[in-house]
Amino acid sequence: MLSIGKSKFRPFVTIILAFVLGVSAAANLTASELTVARPFDADTLDPQRAAATYSLQITNLMFDTLLTMDNDGSIHPGLATDWTMADDGKAYSFTLREGVKCHDGSIFDAGAAKASLDRALDPTTLNPNRTVWGPITGTAVDGNKLKVSFSERYGPFTSFLTSMQAVFLCPSSFSAGKFKPIGTGPFKLANWTRNDSIQLEANADYRNLNPLVTNPGRPHLDKLTFKVIPEAVARMAALRSGEADMVEPSLQEANDLKGDGDFKVYASDLSGQQMFASFTWKIKPLDNTDIRRAIGMALNREAYAAIAFEGLVKSSSCPVAPNLFATDQALCSAWGERYDPEGSKTILAASGYTPDKPLKVKLVVYKGEGWDRLHEIMQQDLAAVGVQAEIETWDVAAFYGHIADVNARTDGPPAILTMGMSGVDPDYLYFLWKRPGASNLGLNAELDEMLEEQRKLSGEARAEKIHDIHKYLLTNAYAVPLISPGWGWLMASSSKVHDFRMGFMVSLLFNDVTVSE
Amino acid sequence: MIHSSAQSKKIRRQLPATIAIGAGIASFLVVAAILAPFVAPYDALKMAAGPRLSAPSGNHLFGTDDFGRDLFSRVLIGARLSLGIGIVAVISGLVAGGLLGLFAAFGGRHVEAVLLRLIDVLYSFPDTLVALILVAFLGPGIENATVAITISLIPFYARVTYGLAVRERAKPYVEAARLAGIRSARLVRVHIMPNIGHSLISMATLGFSSAILSAAGLSFLGLGVQPPSPEWGAILASGRNYITKAPWILIFPGLAIFVTVLSFNLIGDGLRDLFDHRRKTP
Amino acid sequence: MLHLVFRKTVLALVTVFVVIVLSGTLIHLVPGDPITAMMAHSMTVPPEAMASMRSRLGLDLPVWQQVGLYAWRVLHGDLGTTIRGNEPVLNLLMQRLPNTLLLAVSGLAVALLIGIPSGFLAAVYRGRATDNVIAVVAVFGVSVPAFWTGLIMIQIFALKLGWLPVAGSGWRNLILPSLTLGLTYCALVARMTRSALLEVLGEDYIRTARARGLREHQILFVHALRPALISIVTVIGLLFAYLLGGQVIVESVFSWNGIGRLAVQAMLARDYPMIQGFIVVFATSVVVVSSSVDVLYSYLDPRIRTR
Repeated sequence: MLSIGKSKFRPFVTIILAFVLGVSAAANLTASELTVARPFDADTLDPQRAAATYSLQITNLMFDTLLTMDNDGSIHPGLATDWTMADDGKAYSFTLREGVKCHDGSIFDAGAAKASLDRALDPTTLNPNRTVWGPITGTAVDGNKLKVSFSERYGPFTSFLTSMQAVFLCPSSFSAGKFKPIGTGPFKLANWTRNDSIQLEANADYRNLNPLVTNPGRPHLDKLTFKVIPEAVARMAALRSGEADMVEPSLQEANDLKGDGDFKVYASDLSGQQMFASFTWKIKPLDNTDIRRAIGMALNREAYAAIAFEGLVKSSSCPVAPNLFATDQALCSAWGERYDPEGSKTILAASGYTPDKPLKVKLVVYKGEGWDRLHEIMQQDLAAVGVQAEIETWDVAAFYGHIADVNARTDGPPAILTMGMSGVDPDYLYFLWKRPGASNLGLNAELDEMLEEQRKLSGEARAEKIHDIHKYLLTNAYAVPLISPGWGWLMASSSKVHDFRMGFMVSLLFNDVTVSE
Repeated sequence: MIHSSAQSKKIRRQLPATIAIGAGIASFLVVAAILAPFVAPYDALKMAAGPRLSAPSGNHLFGTDDFGRDLFSRVLIGARLSLGIGIVAVISGLVAGGLLGLFAAFGGRHVEAVLLRLIDVLYSFPDTLVALILVAFLGPGIENATVAITISLIPFYARVTYGLAVRERAKPYVEAARLAGIRSARLVRVHIMPNIGHSLISMATLGFSSAILSAAGLSFLGLGVQPPSPEWGAILASGRNYITKAPWILIFPGLAIFVTVLSFNLIGDGLRDLFDHRRKTP
Repeated sequence: MLHLVFRKTVLALVTVFVVIVLSGTLIHLVPGDPITAMMAHSMTVPPEAMASMRSRLGLDLPVWQQVGLYAWRVLHGDLGTTIRGNEPVLNLLMQRLPNTLLLAVSGLAVALLIGIPSGFLAAVYRGRATDNVIAVVAVFGVSVPAFWTGLIMIQIFALKLGWLPVAGSGWRNLILPSLTLGLTYCALVARMTRSALLEVLGEDYIRTARARGLREHQILFVHALRPALISIVTVIGLLFAYLLGGQVIVESVFSWNGIGRLAVQAMLARDYPMIQGFIVVFATSVVVVSSSVDVLYSYLDPRIRTR
């Protein structure tokens, strides 16, 4: 019988009681787990080999970036606390944060950063995003600083460093023969059964760097599991039955979930994604700007957003995603075409094309959720003004090869192409449109020059140059923006999940997430 | 079951019934398919002919799809496409596959050995993969889809024909014919073919549903028949996510496929039983 | 017997080799390659980089050379690594092959359990109501797409009743996909059983047995059933081989981690080592199964000897 009254023992007893209570309280807490179902597995967990969003979403949880981006597009520290750029823009110096630990206990320092960057640039790594790093000529370590040198000024570098493609690896990932995903991120890999599930565990030593996250330390979740459920109907069943806490919902049922108090729907507003149509302008009569503009006027983008995508996306006016630097939807609307089927008909009729004697084009596309329906409505829109569009759906690999051919031709059936592009910086216009361009999309010297220029500028001057580019693309109707976002931007969860959000380029942020009983 | 003459007569009277029913339904379908453009209440391609995703009603017999298109009109017009694909694929597949199978059975030991294994492997290939590869080669569109589906049916018919031919081959009359010096080609043409013909016909009908479902499989991947074609398989594929919200998009094309396959099957079975019966009864 | 097995084995190897070469060539000739497949949504790889990546992967070599090199490596047991993730192809396939085997066996079992008795009844009651009903139901099985059956089952058993899980590859997950496969293919089995039994029942020796006064019961089960089943052994073997190919649609609907889905994804990504590895493993399994079936069949039925 313990006599607590005796003052000599009281502090001792208090401590023991507190300890016992604390331990029993901890024992009552069940491990906090979350299961997420997506239609595809990651192709690879090596961020320097990954191109697909479904892979990058996972690697983004295991690795960190050197810099981070806030909602307003401003750049903040990440693994680097501070950075400087030489006046000529050809050299950067990043001061690495002290005491950052990798998942296996090794230290992440400037040397580690250099090793990771070197690997990202090494041609043998087969990094699909190699060119987005820019024209880097060398890397060096100076104490706790990583120095990077360029052959010429590359404006988008710091924005790129905040993106999922630019995460940094711990050298122990690739020091042995087989790649192991070892990073500094909030979660670490516990298990990966290909095409089935990925199990992640919280990184106890994690210190948050991302301004989009409030939780300063390790994630509240203990375990995070990603399951592969290819069929949308099956995913919805898993969500409703509780087998999954969070899923990528079907477009058709997402609105039902929104109205249902037991569920939450999340739509990314920072996707950086854009879906647009382009033309084989080398083939008559699409070489005629008026005809291209007329086609743009025939497209009812609001309907595409409202019907094909069930109102879960927005129509877009600029040739880059809405939330990116220098994207001004109002300006773009003025330069682009408004939905005006009558006006379109008039212009086409003037060139001899009517609904009875239509202009025959191919609508060359590839399959995607919601996109197929967009193309069907598009086909109707075009038929109404005198353009007969025959849909040709290709699988992705054949698609890009085919449109590269089609864009280079000067004869044959004219075609309208649709495609999607995403990024954190409008510099991706460079990759799309500078000759030869992505799949031969490239235009001419005039645009090439503008694209080169904007890389060398910053701030207001750069914004102006980018506006010039938008204006050029839109007034000449080389690009007709359609909708944004376009893929993987939607998630749904049970109402027991709290504080989930989506970051840039549909990255998934789980640091703040808690699951209530 | 088969032997009392009274029962034989009963069956003889019943056989024409299956054929009659089957032929009846099939003719109805073919006529409906031919007359479809004139009979369909709405334009199969026109969006917003009715409210989106509305259930079957007086105005829209089969309901409407997610673009508000009338499903009844679409299924009707789609009949031409699906029947077309099915019939062409089955006939071409049967001819090509049948020849291959016969060649394997009568082409000699070595030909048989290698060809047989090859046919087995090709037959077992996942349909989706075969169709995907072929369409990637040929490009999208209904003609190319039909070619792809035909090619994917060939191994099945080859194997079936081979199996039937081999069973015939073991029969004494074949031995006798060979001893009499009759060469393989003539043997096949004059003796084997007629004997296995009726079994082949009944197998042929199985290929029809396989062809339509292959078309649906291709449409899942977005390949093959292109929108807005209301081919039955394509409608099925597009309706996949509506199983809870608008099940009629899946039910009616499915029913159409079912009725079509049933009618062809009845004809095939009836024919087979008829020939069989005539062969067996003295 | 041993001689037969040996010949079959050599033949099997030759066949697999021929399949590897033919399919490899075909796949390499299909438009698009792994580099263009990576372009989706992030077209940041300029043509020079694409060319250099292709070169590193040996994709700029003439097709015959690529196929030849691959065949050579396969003969040495090396199935290579995937292009997407640089992982050993053989491991990836072996992780999943058991799942596909399991599903194939279960699906087949269900198809046989439903199909054989149905076909039997249809033959015995030929021409009567039972036969017709079974015929109609069989057609239903064949013309209803597997994905529809599967999705309905998920809605009912997983969602409404909550008895079974929706996704995965464990034991409880096996039930619904096996049922779906079984229901789809029992029609084929029923048809085959029916015609096989009818064929046998039309034979002279059955007539003799009847003339001798044996009871129908005895004739059916003792004299007719066995030869009928033997004659459908080949079909069953073929069906099993077909199920081994991986039922892509069923695997997708039930998130069953089998090789069929893997093959289609690999083809869409043009991951040549992965697709070709699938073909090697798959072709080998099929050849093993169908050779065994042939041997079994000639053993069971001395009238038919495949030469």
